[in-house]
Amino acid sequence: MAIAEKQTTVVGTSVIRPDADEKVRGGRGFPVNVTLPGMLHAKILRSLRPHARIVRIDATRAKQLPGVKAVLLPEDVSQQPYTPVFFVPTLAASMVQDMVVMSDTVRYAGQPVAAVAATSAEIAEAALELIDVEYEDLPAVFDPEEAMAEGAPQLHESSPGNVAVHPVFEFGDLEQGFAGADHVFEGVYRTQRVHTCYLEPRVCVVDADPHGRITVHSSTQHIFGLREKLAFALGVPESRVRVVRPPYIGGGFGGKLDLGYIEPIAALLSMKTEKPVRIEQTRYEDFITTARHPITVHLKTGVSKDGRFTARYAKSVLDTGAHATHGAEVINVHGFFGFLLGYACENQTWEGYTVYTNNMVGGGYRGYGAPQGAFAVESQIDEICEQLGFDPIEFRLANAHHEGEPHPFNPGFTLSSYRLDDCLHQGSERMGWEERTPAGSDSGTKKRGIGLACHPLWVSGCMGFPDIYEHSGAIIKLNRDGTADLAVATIDMGSGQTTTLCQIAAEGLGLPFDAVRIVFAADTETVPFDAPSHASRVTYSAGNAVQAAAEVVKQRVLEVAATMLDLPVEELDTRDGMVVANGASEPALSVADVVTRAESPYVQVGPQGPAPTTIGEKGTIIGVSSQAPPSNPSPATAEFVEVEVDTETGEVEVLRVVFAHDIGKVVHPNAAEGQVEGGFQQGMGYALMEDLQFDQQTGACLTADFLDYKIPTAVEMPRSIESVFIESDEPTGPFGAKSLSEPCVIVPAPAIANAIYNAVGVRVRDLPITPEKILAGLDELGGATDNRASGS
Amino acid sequence: MTHPIKIQVNGDGHELAVEPGETLLAVLRGKLGLVGPKRGCDGGGCGACTVHVDGKAVYSCMTYAAGLDGCLVTSVEGLGNGTLDPVQAAFVTAGAVQCGYCTSGMIMTAKQLLAEVSDPDEEQIRHALAGNLCRCTGYQKIVDAVKLAAAGA
Repeated sequence: MAIAEKQTTVVGTSVIRPDADEKVRGGRGFPVNVTLPGMLHAKILRSLRPHARIVRIDATRAKQLPGVKAVLLPEDVSQQPYTPVFFVPTLAASMVQDMVVMSDTVRYAGQPVAAVAATSAEIAEAALELIDVEYEDLPAVFDPEEAMAEGAPQLHESSPGNVAVHPVFEFGDLEQGFAGADHVFEGVYRTQRVHTCYLEPRVCVVDADPHGRITVHSSTQHIFGLREKLAFALGVPESRVRVVRPPYIGGGFGGKLDLGYIEPIAALLSMKTEKPVRIEQTRYEDFITTARHPITVHLKTGVSKDGRFTARYAKSVLDTGAHATHGAEVINVHGFFGFLLGYACENQTWEGYTVYTNNMVGGGYRGYGAPQGAFAVESQIDEICEQLGFDPIEFRLANAHHEGEPHPFNPGFTLSSYRLDDCLHQGSERMGWEERTPAGSDSGTKKRGIGLACHPLWVSGCMGFPDIYEHSGAIIKLNRDGTADLAVATIDMGSGQTTTLCQIAAEGLGLPFDAVRIVFAADTETVPFDAPSHASRVTYSAGNAVQAAAEVVKQRVLEVAATMLDLPVEELDTRDGMVVANGASEPALSVADVVTRAESPYVQVGPQGPAPTTIGEKGTIIGVSSQAPPSNPSPATAEFVEVEVDTETGEVEVLRVVFAHDIGKVVHPNAAEGQVEGGFQQGMGYALMEDLQFDQQTGACLTADFLDYKIPTAVEMPRSIESVFIESDEPTGPFGAKSLSEPCVIVPAPAIANAIYNAVGVRVRDLPITPEKILAGLDELGGATDNRASGS
Repeated sequence: MTHPIKIQVNGDGHELAVEPGETLLAVLRGKLGLVGPKRGCDGGGCGACTVHVDGKAVYSCMTYAAGLDGCLVTSVEGLGNGTLDPVQAAFVTAGAVQCGYCTSGMIMTAKQLLAEVSDPDEEQIRHALAGNLCRCTGYQKIVDAVKLAAAGA
């Protein structure tokens, strides 16, 4: 397609987000604001024991408390095991089904053991105190390596040895690869448990009516996944569950990608009482509901003297907590997209262990296993380059994949747009990478350093993955005033997906942006299926579906216009809300005229009396699509970070960030920058401060509020995050677009670790990089640091 | 035992009976139907519930309603006068709104800053906002919005 034909007028502009106006006025559309007449409030009793059997549970006193309407105990709940993960089919062979809604075996501190619905949340809370539970404690294990050892406490009969899944992938001949290496590097890289920290708590209102229909409002990332998993957990047909699409939710970041305990518990209480039941989690409950899994990566890499990988081996041990859930899938994404695929190497072996412990259950979080892998891989590349004297940019490019090559994960697809080289070169120029000085060479007690990390290969959705949903749909309907209603199942978590989808619709329809409006009244009964808002997929996958629906609508507009104008369809086009004929200087009609005509009576009365129009023109102009995306193009990312390390306190200040991305066509530059800036905050918290900690005797969460679990505030954040977008043209993307959301969260930890090394010569291989770890590293360096600092 | 209070919220007078432990946030959201102030943590850790009491920004989740007899309360719904307040407008223009859950609190904190310092520098803005968490934006465009509002004021 010629460049001239691809000029866009709406896509590529930072239109004002329609939801922003509503949100600055208070934001009524959040699920947390949903109330229904007669609604009850429920609270969940959570076990304080990490591993125990319930011997006896007695709720007699709770039921007698005035205002209590129903109590739910394990004996009331189906023991049908399931996996709560939204994006896999209910009985996906690749997933472990090891959870039930309420069990009489407790496997982590915080697991629900009972629930109460009452006329107020306060009464429900008070009733929890009146439930007597007698436990028989079982031995607990909190460390995954200990859990795998012989004689360790066992969590699930179905998984002896506490290993839920153990994938192994081998390519080439590892032994021969290491034999051919001139240098071999080995290291162990550890990451911690962190929380997504969405600000809107997980909340739901479930209304089971007397006719057996269950309506659900929830702060979810996927209405169809919630419908499927909830129906399965309750043992009812999917069609009896209706999930309403919230206009927006208060963040998700992967943390709302599964059926929580709250929806099935609220549903069961609603079925018991025949009233709507609301559950809103406390921040403590949110902190112990899904987190990014800690993974320990044992990494061994062979390198030739000319700077090529000859062999790569990694063993990854993932702590999934009490249930496998996402841990059975995160491990594979971690293996492939965090280790195997980023760089080309003929001889590679990776093995993963998803291990049960009596810790909280892990879940989805932006990057989905890749941050843990990238921290290991990108840190070790820095070590290799430092020790062997390779240029970190050229070393990466020499080992990377390149545009035009077959996709390394999906050989049927091509890396059709892939500009890692431009990301590295333009990013380094912007940062002033060439002026980087040797590690620890900055003088004084506060030392500056620059670091780099890449995320070479990532996804635009899950096309090509086994067992994962990946299709989208859209409905576009035109109104007589020339506006369009766009209905999708896609959830806007905050990153502006509904705005970008409206831009794609407007561009495809030839309408101005403000003529397209997202439909709020959508639910699982009215819109086509969409996979979740996850895997950096919405702009690409849902965007393609919206573009397809827009093409259907536009074609119909032109057909009706052609009848009205008595011109061939091929000679007409739409532009900025008008129908334009080829070669004409003035528009012939407005889209509003065309829709009005299509919706008008067949016989119209004019000044000359009644006259028939054309039957073929009549009918609402509407377009529907439902389709899988054509490919799975990879974005490319390189990040440069400048830090200052105080060698007296060990504190790290991030001074400046340059983030270069190839995301294809940038649909909304301001929103794209916002994603990158917010992504850095999450990555920086992961690198330097965030750590969800638990007591190693009782399993109790020690960091269950924002005073103990610190995330970066406006003060800690760098004063400057500069986004560089390399706009490649992705041939399979909507108007050339690919994806963005996750790489900007994946790369900050290794980039910061590498910058800290460059500043002070201390290599920290376990996150978070606290002042204590830096000071310990400086102590180990001892006199060597002083010599280096003064000797250069 | 409930406690009678008279408060003015966004210009409207209310006579309420509140429980001793009832927070201002619970009163605003539960009794007055004002959903702008958000519950993010119930512990003064996130700032999403920030409102003004007698012109001063407070965490409404950490403020007992029983102590507010005779006070003037302003939530984000009370800003502007039919149109957007300059700070609200600046948040929209600068792209400072993503999920929007922190937005109400951020705006109320920014309003307080601009009432005290008409032309704050970047460090003053960042320190003023340090009690309000955002997980979407990285704060850069929020800081931009406050600068924009200050420049226009």
